[in-house]
Amino acid sequence: MTSVAAAGPVSLLARRPEGPLVRFLFWSALVHAALFSLALVWAKLHETPAIDLDQKPIKATLVRQGTPRDEKLLPRIEQPPPPPMEQKAPEPVAVPEPPRPVAPSPVAAPAPPKTRQAGEKKADPRQKLLGAFDRMSKSKSAPDTTGAADGDPHGDAAVAEGEAYYARLRSQVTRFYDVSDTIPDAERIRLTAQVAVFISSTGQLERARLAKSSGNDLFDAAVMAAVKRASPFSPPPTHLRDALQKYGVVLMFRP
Amino acid sequence: MRTLVCSLLICPLVALAQAPVIEISGANFRPLPIAVPLPQALNDGARTVSPAFDDAFFFDCSAAGIFQVLDRKSYLADAREGFTASTITFSRWADVGAEALVKVQLSVDGRELRGEMRMFTVSSGKEELRLVHVEPVDNPRKLAHFFADALYRQFTREPGPFQSHLAFVRRVGKGKDVYLGDWDGKRAAPVAQGSINLLPVVGPQGDSVAFTSYRSGKPALYLQRAGGVAVPLVNTGSMVTGVAFSPDGRRIAYSMAQGEGAQLYLADANGANPQPLTDSPYFINSSPTWSPDGKRIAFVSNRAGTPQLYVLPVANPKEVRRLTFQGNYNQTPDWSPRGDLIAFTARDERNAFDLFTVNVETGKVTRLTQDQGNNQEPSFAPNGRLVVFSSNRTGSSMLWVMTAEGQNQKMLPLEKGEYSTPDWGP
Repeated sequence: MTSVAAAGPVSLLARRPEGPLVRFLFWSALVHAALFSLALVWAKLHETPAIDLDQKPIKATLVRQGTPRDEKLLPRIEQPPPPPMEQKAPEPVAVPEPPRPVAPSPVAAPAPPKTRQAGEKKADPRQKLLGAFDRMSKSKSAPDTTGAADGDPHGDAAVAEGEAYYARLRSQVTRFYDVSDTIPDAERIRLTAQVAVFISSTGQLERARLAKSSGNDLFDAAVMAAVKRASPFSPPPTHLRDALQKYGVVLMFRP
Repeated sequence: MRTLVCSLLICPLVALAQAPVIEISGANFRPLPIAVPLPQALNDGARTVSPAFDDAFFFDCSAAGIFQVLDRKSYLADAREGFTASTITFSRWADVGAEALVKVQLSVDGRELRGEMRMFTVSSGKEELRLVHVEPVDNPRKLAHFFADALYRQFTREPGPFQSHLAFVRRVGKGKDVYLGDWDGKRAAPVAQGSINLLPVVGPQGDSVAFTSYRSGKPALYLQRAGGVAVPLVNTGSMVTGVAFSPDGRRIAYSMAQGEGAQLYLADANGANPQPLTDSPYFINSSPTWSPDGKRIAFVSNRAGTPQLYVLPVANPKEVRRLTFQGNYNQTPDWSPRGDLIAFTARDERNAFDLFTVNVETGKVTRLTQDQGNNQEPSFAPNGRLVVFSSNRTGSSMLWVMTAEGQNQKMLPLEKGEYSTPDWGP
């Protein structure tokens, strides 16, 4: 005997009851998508900055301190700027002690007017003259620099440009930007390397990564060494702290 | 939900793209630290010539400007160390700061001096260059210059300057003699002796010297070829000075006194067919120097009141262009074989003579020497990378060499004397 299931006419468009498998697949896909998105976001947040190669680089320079040189005179060889001074933390100010009561002392007799002792010599005019020469020679020991009266003692350019902190950063790195002389001229023209630099709020180098190689090992090694040797940097100003720590700054090196 | 996911994905990307890009240029180009131990002499004959070879090779490497030759006293490696990569302890060379190591072996066979040079990268221990060359045993310096040029070419991919020649003047008693020698002034032989001989210029092939001589009473130009006698090049009875060969060697330019002034002339290489280049009566035009393409000549003229550098096109000499506007006493120009710079002597506001370069296109003047006596008469090496000049910084006037940027200034290993007007030719 064959039993025939009594099946009524069921429309294919009719909503079927959701089985456990369908629900599982739906939630599984959703959870996977969420996890994938989170992983993407996590990776992006902890990745070095994406470099926009078309972005116009900032040319930040500090103006040097000194008096402008007459343009008609022949140039002088510039002396390297002095190393940056260490910024010491301000020493705690001593709290003034309350004045101690002083026992009244007998009034001292007024000192007699000073009179020249017999053995005391008059100031030698020759010594005066030599002293004057000495002062003159000391006054000439100031470095002969060209710049501007209101410039920065660590500046290395005649004209200031850009954000001052970036200019200081550039100045600090340039001081250690040593490249081997054996790199041929033909290569020097096309060499460009980019280093992503992350700086903490205290100016410490958190990490540096070669974001774009120049193709020349000597040059790449030189720019990475320059960044590492220049650290620690000056502490960033408040408005740049977060950006420099999270997103960093890209240093684009050219010879 | 869709909006949330999109914003989570896009926001960080927007923020990351905002990292500023700071441009840093103006690298301090530093010489490469290399170690050049004493050459290994394989037999007695090699031991005899080894010091002369080493003097020349070590000085070439030191003066090249691209190397920092490390002090041999600091070397830690065993002096009997091997010659191949497998027998060299590179860590000992790295410990003294060497980035490259150059080793040479010498042996003498009959009248031949055989040399083998190897260059290694210290960090990788890799052999980068291996070269064998033979020269006559009586000329170990020539072998040294050959190896130095090869080493220079290996690093820079440009020809080295060490197999070239130098002409210069040396004062002897009341007279001045002209000499021609190796680039470092060694093995110099007299070209013109007796009388007063000045302003030598090495010919385009390196086998002749032209100079100004008072041997006939008035200064005239002479040419001395190797193995020949000095023949008059221009002898008009007027005062003629400062000959300059065109780069192809077919023409010469010189200065000839006329009345109260002096004008530049252009002639065939043998002095025939002289044609005036300048026409400024009452003014002095002198010291011509050719551009490497032979199309322009730079010279000194006082037509604006003080001696300044000017440039004129040979095809149209009337289109004279003033090149220098700084300083009030600029002289002795020499056009770089690379074409971009002209080196010259100038007197600065402290009344010291120093060396400068001027960029031919931009006119930018760069100082090469400063606060070290008087430095004069620059002459570029044939490759344009080095400059030889005279300086009295040590007392007497000696010849010095430096890079075209003024770095690595070294005195040439000449006997003590009074030297002047060097000319560095091929």
